[in-house]
Amino acid sequence: MPILAIDTATMVSSVAVADEKRLLAELTVQTRLTHSETLLPHIEKVLQLAGVKKAELTGVAVSLGPGSFTGLRIGLAAAKAISYGLSIPIFGIPTTEVLAWHYPVPGIAVVPFIDAQKGNVYSAVYTWQGDGFAEVSPVQVYSVDEALALCASQQMTVMAVGDMVAKKLAGREDLPANVQLPPQHLLMPRAANVAMAALRRQQEGREDSVMDLEPVYIRRSEAEVLWEKRHGTDNEKEKVQP
Amino acid sequence: MDNKITLAIESSCDETSAAVLRGGREVLSLVISTQIPVHQKFGGVVPEIASRKHIVNIMPVIDETLQKAGLSLSDIDQVAVTYGPGLVGALLVGVSAAKALAFTLGVPLIGVNHLEGHIFANFISHPDLKPPFMALVVSGGHTSLVHVKDYNSFALMGQTRDDAAGEAFDKVARVMGLPYPGGPQIDRLAQEGDPHAIDFPKALQEKGNYEFSFSGLKSAVLNYLNSMKCKNLPVNKADVAASFQNTVIEVLIAKAMDAVRESGCDTLVLAGGVAANSSLEGRLREAADREGIRFCYPDKLLCTDNAAMIGCRGYYQAQAGIYSDLYLNAVPGLALTDL
Repeated sequence: MPILAIDTATMVSSVAVADEKRLLAELTVQTRLTHSETLLPHIEKVLQLAGVKKAELTGVAVSLGPGSFTGLRIGLAAAKAISYGLSIPIFGIPTTEVLAWHYPVPGIAVVPFIDAQKGNVYSAVYTWQGDGFAEVSPVQVYSVDEALALCASQQMTVMAVGDMVAKKLAGREDLPANVQLPPQHLLMPRAANVAMAALRRQQEGREDSVMDLEPVYIRRSEAEVLWEKRHGTDNEKEKVQP
Repeated sequence: MDNKITLAIESSCDETSAAVLRGGREVLSLVISTQIPVHQKFGGVVPEIASRKHIVNIMPVIDETLQKAGLSLSDIDQVAVTYGPGLVGALLVGVSAAKALAFTLGVPLIGVNHLEGHIFANFISHPDLKPPFMALVVSGGHTSLVHVKDYNSFALMGQTRDDAAGEAFDKVARVMGLPYPGGPQIDRLAQEGDPHAIDFPKALQEKGNYEFSFSGLKSAVLNYLNSMKCKNLPVNKADVAASFQNTVIEVLIAKAMDAVRESGCDTLVLAGGVAANSSLEGRLREAADREGIRFCYPDKLLCTDNAAMIGCRGYYQAQAGIYSDLYLNAVPGLALTDL
């Protein structure tokens, strides 16, 4: 019962085909090629490599973000059309959870550092519970230092993952003692992780709506933030930092 | 003409649209989800917000279109999609969905130039229309004269050097404090004004020059409004709107009619969002009538951004074997060129 998984949330473009027993094939590329050009050819290729026909797919999973707004929409638009075109369920997986799946290990925490622009990061805290991840601290926008403080406050080893680890944490000498930086092949999202998270959701029947599914942006558009600065808002202040 | 079923998708700016066509000209269904109210408070289309709306609207719009056509996915023979020009983030939603849909259905993909689509809207509204003809494309971002020699053979006569006509309308409207989108507001206000009240300049008037320039005109209107304000003189906004619009229209008519004469065409078609401007349409018709030239423009609904015109254009591309592969990318600056 194979599913197709897609992650285009960051500079990495990754597609995979997996079933309950095996990761059948995965194609992960980080070469600064345009996701919009290569995603569909990669999907075609990975299905070929896996020896799986389109019609055999039982689900499609996609990394929802946070990440590059445009990258997220490229992946989600493709995933939605595949779900709709094949009449199969769609599963949206937060990109923070996708990254956490590098370390499904008890006794440690995983903290993603995903580029949120302007030197900020999207971070959250995940711990492995034996059958899935618990989101101990929800995803929000932090400065890099704030996110490091969040790591330091965990009473256990923290694996820092995500595209900002190489950009902002590598080489820093003031990292909290409990923070570990993994090698680069375990820093970036990959579709195998998306598939692992989605297969569990499939078992539990937790599919998303192909009509309504949206990326996890966390941040609003620049224009809305500016507009509210000028005009104020009647709504309650959102928890999300600008 | 065969009866191929084309599913078309358009998401280049602030409308999410899908359509199903049978053959090249029979629109079985057309759904347009407009975002105008969303962007109104910002005074213009906000690209990131437009993209966010597209990704939410895209599947419901496609689904509703198929339902209205009374067809299922297995009836689709080909998928056409706008790949430019437009807002890159907005285009990418339609392009990604179209590619994935064509791939999953195992049908050909056809990338369509949005501006060519505007011209082809005329084929839907006028079943007997055939090339060759001269097309005047007037939209928010583009003003061009295209000699459509055949369904897949065009010669670009000229286009805008700076501001497009629609852009000038929107900017002048904004300065006059009219709500977005400004084009229809100017058109409405102009009905009450004197088109000869103020003498605004026309650019690139030499014979045989089919390029357009409206940025000088736009500046002249802004200067006029400023100088009146400095002198504490009252401004008759209706006169400004009427005079500005009249200047734009006179330039468009003069160049379009020259181009028709030079090409030897017997038909002039108007295309693009600004084709919905009632004065432009009326005056072009008069000018064409005077010279015995047939004049066509699309139904109002097909003047705005819509997927039916993309489906029509895509159909004629497919007839000539002009398909896209799965590497198709959005091209925000895609131009009208010779073909």
